[in-house]
Amino acid sequence: MSIGEYFDFVLTRTEAMYNIVQFEGHGSFWLVFVIGIFFGGIIQYTRVDKFEKIAGFAMGKDTIIPKMLFLAIGITSIALYFEIQMGYASYHPKPIILQGLIMGGIIFGVGMAIMGKCPGTGPISIAEGRIDVLVGAFGGILGGWLFTKYYDDFFKPLMGHDYGKSTLVSVGGDYATFFVFVFGIALILIAILIPKMELFDDADLSLLEHDERPDVKAEKEHEEFELVK
Amino acid sequence: MKRRLPWWLGGILMSLLLLFTFSVFGADRPIGASTYVPYYAGILFGMDPEHYTYLKEIEKAGAWEGVMLLGVFVGGFITSVFITKSFRFSVRPTAWKVYKNTSVKSRLIWSFFSGFLLIIGARLAGGCTSGHFLSGMSQTAFSSMIFGGVVLATLLVTGKLFYNTGEPK
Repeated sequence: MSIGEYFDFVLTRTEAMYNIVQFEGHGSFWLVFVIGIFFGGIIQYTRVDKFEKIAGFAMGKDTIIPKMLFLAIGITSIALYFEIQMGYASYHPKPIILQGLIMGGIIFGVGMAIMGKCPGTGPISIAEGRIDVLVGAFGGILGGWLFTKYYDDFFKPLMGHDYGKSTLVSVGGDYATFFVFVFGIALILIAILIPKMELFDDADLSLLEHDERPDVKAEKEHEEFELVK
Repeated sequence: MKRRLPWWLGGILMSLLLLFTFSVFGADRPIGASTYVPYYAGILFGMDPEHYTYLKEIEKAGAWEGVMLLGVFVGGFITSVFITKSFRFSVRPTAWKVYKNTSVKSRLIWSFFSGFLLIIGARLAGGCTSGHFLSGMSQTAFSSMIFGGVVLATLLVTGKLFYNTGEPK
């Protein structure tokens, strides 16, 4: 492929990306773009994309990630169930490809602890100036290329058997509503009951006024925290 | 102005965003954030989707996430500059310096390697923190609960083994 051909290829593919999102019934280009802005904004505003939050959780020094994650899942699981009952949405669960889930989960967990990011929070950290995460993204792109190239011969067979897309709702039958409530409320309770611990990064707070700093607030309210410099 | 959102408000807002995205008024689909990586890799490496089964499989999901991630990038940049005042260039996280080592080379090599692991892992499992944890568990999917359990356990074990979490240096 010459440079001219490569340039044409990238343009054609980018145009195809736009057309799929704009015309195939899952929102429009701008709607999906705005969903992304909010997704990135909420995560950045809560600072849960920080190394100190994600790797800090892996080290047992910060619990904001599980608290926020379980609360969001708990509320959404109950509300989504009723949204679907009213006909405003539908379920799109992922299949139980057991071997793939377990192997993938282990590899993913190791990567997440070391990088201190996941594929959704990584771009946010790059956007706020984290050069190491940009280097990590190159590793990710290499992984994506390798996975695509050897999907048929290596990765697909590795993932093993597909056990279907069952969910608590699909196996719950007449008790589905009850199961969803128990599941959602349990997660919300877990989110609230996990003791709050925070690992703050002084460099991240250095531009804030004294009374805007979360560590000052945590100190005042006698919460458990640690400040690294 | 509040410079940091508390976790509970972040959780509620994230829940509202998920509910909107799932609904027919939004995108009538879940939020995912790892399929875009092989999708972008296919574009960057000049891979013709006609010749790769996987690119055909992810054509639609990859495009959707590809556009969403552009928004994520912009959203993160806006809040980091104007709200949280956390935009700055850095190559080593502060906690890495305290609990791992002070070498730039070490951080960059580990970053590259762990970025690679994240994507191989997410693609084997068919999702990541967004697709499985947030969207999948909200649908009470067993696949996502299995993934969630394995990731939580591995994350905590790796964190204990990889970092020197005793007394700060």
